[in-house]
Amino acid sequence: MLELFTYDFMQRSLLAAAMVGGLCSVIGVFVVLRGLAFVGAGTAHAAFAGVALGYLMGWPPLLLAIIFGLATVWITGWVEEKGRMKLDVSIGILYTTTMALAILFIGLMKTYNAEVYGYLFGSVLSVTSGELRTIGGLSILVLGLILLFSKELYFIAFDQEMAEASGVPARKIFFLLLTLVALTVVISLKTVGAILVFAMILIPASTAYQLTHSLRTLTIYSILIGISTSVSGVLISAVWDIPSGPAIVLLATSIFFLAILFSPKQERRLAPAA
Amino acid sequence: MSESTNPIIQFDHATFGFPGVIALQDISLSIGMGEFVGIIGPNGSGKTTLCRAVLGLMAPLSGHLRIFDCACGELRCHHRAQIGYLPQKGVVDRNFPVTVLETVMMGRYGTLGLFKRTTKKDQAIALDALAHVAMDAHRDTALGHLSGGQQQRVFIARALAQQPKVLLLDEPTTGLDITTQHNVIELVAHLHKELGLTVLLITHDINMIRPHVDRLVLLKTRLFAAGPPADVLKPDILRQVYGKELVITGKDLVIVEDYHHHH
Repeated sequence: MLELFTYDFMQRSLLAAAMVGGLCSVIGVFVVLRGLAFVGAGTAHAAFAGVALGYLMGWPPLLLAIIFGLATVWITGWVEEKGRMKLDVSIGILYTTTMALAILFIGLMKTYNAEVYGYLFGSVLSVTSGELRTIGGLSILVLGLILLFSKELYFIAFDQEMAEASGVPARKIFFLLLTLVALTVVISLKTVGAILVFAMILIPASTAYQLTHSLRTLTIYSILIGISTSVSGVLISAVWDIPSGPAIVLLATSIFFLAILFSPKQERRLAPAA
Repeated sequence: MSESTNPIIQFDHATFGFPGVIALQDISLSIGMGEFVGIIGPNGSGKTTLCRAVLGLMAPLSGHLRIFDCACGELRCHHRAQIGYLPQKGVVDRNFPVTVLETVMMGRYGTLGLFKRTTKKDQAIALDALAHVAMDAHRDTALGHLSGGQQQRVFIARALAQQPKVLLLDEPTTGLDITTQHNVIELVAHLHKELGLTVLLITHDINMIRPHVDRLVLLKTRLFAAGPPADVLKPDILRQVYGKELVITGKDLVIVEDYHHHH
């Protein structure tokens, strides 16, 4: 198994998996705490529609993925803020609309394009050096912004109105969070695919949520779980010759259920009320 | 209406609401530095609107509102960090991963501003705030593991960590048992004296706050009365606002609506 590490493609995919795993698990903390799970799932499908349009028209797919992803989260945030409609309904509509667009764009292509499907299902083992650099650059940008605004992001995740009332520009921070979710989804598309990316965002943070009562510790646990399951998933997929996306997600899901089973919070729930 | 000598919150014929829906009409009221003011009125009388206005979350439709001598026509005003706010008690998810100290530290964020990290000094301020509400022994406890009264104390500490001039509390005793309600009000009264804070307390429970406040403000969309408790809590004034829902038993006032509200 050790000779796996000597292959260039393997080194690239492990690095990509570690970066994507780390990034998704950090943004996941805020997504889980602020209750934006469905928003991310919708964004992933919107971004995929962007990729499909890119391949159809011969335009840069990642750029279109970013545009589609951002448009979706911003519309969602605007709808929630205006209180026009419940968030899950507006996301449900955008989710299916963008998926319809993706299917339409793929249908309009004259020939079968395997690369498009790569973005749907993920193909971390085929990540190129160029893509790795893009992933790296965007990851640094997103992580940098999270670090820069971490205290405000935590505050709005806990209580957005309270944050607003105490002088934090909560509305702007909320839109920043939505933007970062969209960017994270786009960065991760190639590695884990549109269908599975959201598991990468949700599962590590939800697993960490079972294990601690501190925001700081939650974030650290989430990152550790995210990176280790992504890297292990890629290794499992290479050794057993199975697709990498499902390997990562199923491994993370198993750890999630273990965490629920052995959660200290679980014991507390079962204990008689004091 | 009595004009305070050193007003820090000043409503001048201010009307609030949305076009077509007036929540508070033609309010003129001055609140002076260091005053303890109780805001009372039936459900839907505009108490929470008043609160949102003071927080700068709502600009007047007409008239003026000045806070710390700042016209708050524009939202997101710098005065916000100087108002420590305790929102109506929401349910804190028992599993929400935040400790008592982390919760109180959030009170520092608005004051610090963007891009600045919290320092040892901020932590010292947060710990001091916790000591003021006698919760310093619980600094590392999960917020969700505390009782309702203890959580209120932590949220008051978070407001104090802003080092505010004004403490604004929106129904701080709702959902607490009677003993805990008294403890919370006693704590607020104590902080008012000890820290020289201006306190605005919105409540249903007139009897509970009567001994502590300097003035009561009685709202029902309009400002019905404002003044010392003895001047405001007169049967004829209260009947105009509460109607049949008011029952006076000896020294105590029972408002039937609130009786249902609480039980």
